[in-house]
Amino acid sequence: MTASLLTLADSRLPAGGHTHSGGVEQAIAAGLVRDPASLAAFLLRRLVTSGAVAAGLAAAACRGRNLPVLDAEADARTPSPALRAASRQQGRGLVRVGRRAWPSPLWDALPAAPHHPVALGVAAAAGGLTPRDAAAAAAYLSVSGPATAAQRLLAMDPLTVAAVTARLAPEIDAVAEDCLSRADGELSADTDPLLDLLAEVHATRGDRFFAS
Amino acid sequence: MPPDHNLDDYVDAYEHGHRHGGPLRVGLGGPVGSGKTALAAALCRTLGAEYDLAVVTNDIYTTEDADFLRRNAVLPDDRIEAVQTGCCPHTAIRDDITANLDAVELLEARHPGLELVLVESGGDNLTASFSYGLVDVQVFVVDVAGGDKVPRKGGPGVTASDLLVVNKTDLAPLVGADLDVMRRDSAVVRGDKPTLLISLREDPAATEVAEWVRAQVRARQLQQA
Amino acid sequence: MRTRVEVVARRGPGGRTVLPVVRGSGQLAVRRTGPSAVHLVATAFGPLGGDDAEIRLVVEEGAVLAVRSVAAAVALPARDGDRPSVQRVLAEVAGELDLRMEPTVVARGAHHRAGLTAELAAGAVLTATEQVLLGRTGEEPGRWTGTTRVVADGRPLVHTTVGLGPGAPAWLPPVAPRAYASTVHVGQAAGVLTAGDAVRLPLDTGWVATAWGAELHTVVRAVEAVA
Repeated sequence: MTASLLTLADSRLPAGGHTHSGGVEQAIAAGLVRDPASLAAFLLRRLVTSGAVAAGLAAAACRGRNLPVLDAEADARTPSPALRAASRQQGRGLVRVGRRAWPSPLWDALPAAPHHPVALGVAAAAGGLTPRDAAAAAAYLSVSGPATAAQRLLAMDPLTVAAVTARLAPEIDAVAEDCLSRADGELSADTDPLLDLLAEVHATRGDRFFAS
Repeated sequence: MPPDHNLDDYVDAYEHGHRHGGPLRVGLGGPVGSGKTALAAALCRTLGAEYDLAVVTNDIYTTEDADFLRRNAVLPDDRIEAVQTGCCPHTAIRDDITANLDAVELLEARHPGLELVLVESGGDNLTASFSYGLVDVQVFVVDVAGGDKVPRKGGPGVTASDLLVVNKTDLAPLVGADLDVMRRDSAVVRGDKPTLLISLREDPAATEVAEWVRAQVRARQLQQA
Repeated sequence: MRTRVEVVARRGPGGRTVLPVVRGSGQLAVRRTGPSAVHLVATAFGPLGGDDAEIRLVVEEGAVLAVRSVAAAVALPARDGDRPSVQRVLAEVAGELDLRMEPTVVARGAHHRAGLTAELAAGAVLTATEQVLLGRTGEEPGRWTGTTRVVADGRPLVHTTVGLGPGAPAWLPPVAPRAYASTVHVGQAAGVLTAGDAVRLPLDTGWVATAWGAELHTVVRAVEAVA
């Protein structure tokens, strides 16, 4: 690991993540997230589904696999239009800051407004990180953003939320490890239809704080 | 740090005057209820015929401001973009401006001849200010009803904005605010930077603010020429 | 137990579909039940943990094939160990494939893995449904993992894996349904639709609909409502 990983996973990296709740805003509206325990359950289901997919894609992109192919595989794993848009919006934001932070010809191989995990893998490679680092960052970001969003929306104790996120570390590591131990090139496709539903209902709302 | 360390390694060559081309971006910030949206609508009405212009709104919760502009500013839908700020209007204009940059770039792509973009912040407090990575100049809007102490209290919006607008001067007698005190205090904390005391109710065209914006557009066009 | 099924549908004289290959071995027999339809018939209990079934379906250009089964399958645990039972459907479609099997019931302690991999040529039409119930009446739920991958004209259209039941990492209260149904369709596009615990998502030239809940019959109705 190099210090670049700390920058990449820092929630203050201005890549637009703070405007996305990862489904938490709608989960709260639906009564599914209301306290630390239900938040932990939500974060866990997100981590092992979209987090695992993101980790696999980020690691593969970092490893130098064909980026448009990975981007198409990301599309296939993200059939929800709202989640696709959220991922591409965050990918675009990451490319904007990543190009400035870690100038590299690697960025040029990305499609326009790539899926966030694909951009994340390129950022990791450009920052001198390993596929394992890229996977860890993707897995971590799949829970850190929603955790912060829940804290804001429910006015939860920030110390409690920090503790929930911190204690997910072994699960985050496991997700990152798993995508490296998979057979040659196999990318996780784990999905949670609940997240698709929440994202699509959220997208139709006029009264929301978060873009997704 | 080795003696031959080159600080240019850390700083992009285009850091200063980083943006080339594109419209003038004007930030409109200020506390809730001070009249940011009304000012944006007024500027759209007054300047809409002169300039190719568009607006980005940062409503904190709904698309109310964007809807207000659609109704009141005769601005077509495709010239208004609303961004969600994740409960943090402040962050979206200062610390992580990604969503706003996306919106501005979308408008620029949609209207290649764009000359002026107004970025209206979500209502925040006196400490809110725009990053100069997002806007070229910023206007901070406070109102007389907030009390005549507001300029004295300062805060980055009041002290450092390129233009301070004190709105609702028509309410001064009703709320017991002394406009001279506000004018004097503003001059003290703002130095040479301009302050305009206006009433959008009495002057719905926001004549003086529009004139200031015109000067900014001209300055930018000159700089780019 | 190893089960192999193979069906090939071909455009015959006059444009009518013929089925030159209809083969089944192991736990599944294949019956022709129409000019372009087959039913799969289980010849044994199960599948049991450790069983491996592969169903190859080829629908050539201009041909039509409907695949059904005669009864729900009940996936049971392995007699020893905890290996899952596996069923892979591998489809190559240039014509029109309609795959609608009866539900899979996963008994307590069992883990069933279902897979659909479909390679579609340009203009191919696919409809494939999946209906799952965890646990028989009054029984604790078993575990089900279902993967769908559809590649249309060389491009991945949808690729998702859903895990249900105890041990599935995302099967967590308060949303840990016993019943699940899903339909993927390629051929005619449709937009987003949501209704209760059911959602339809658009694919490039089709859609995928999913529903979940406590009872299979209501879930099946829910998925049909958004399909």
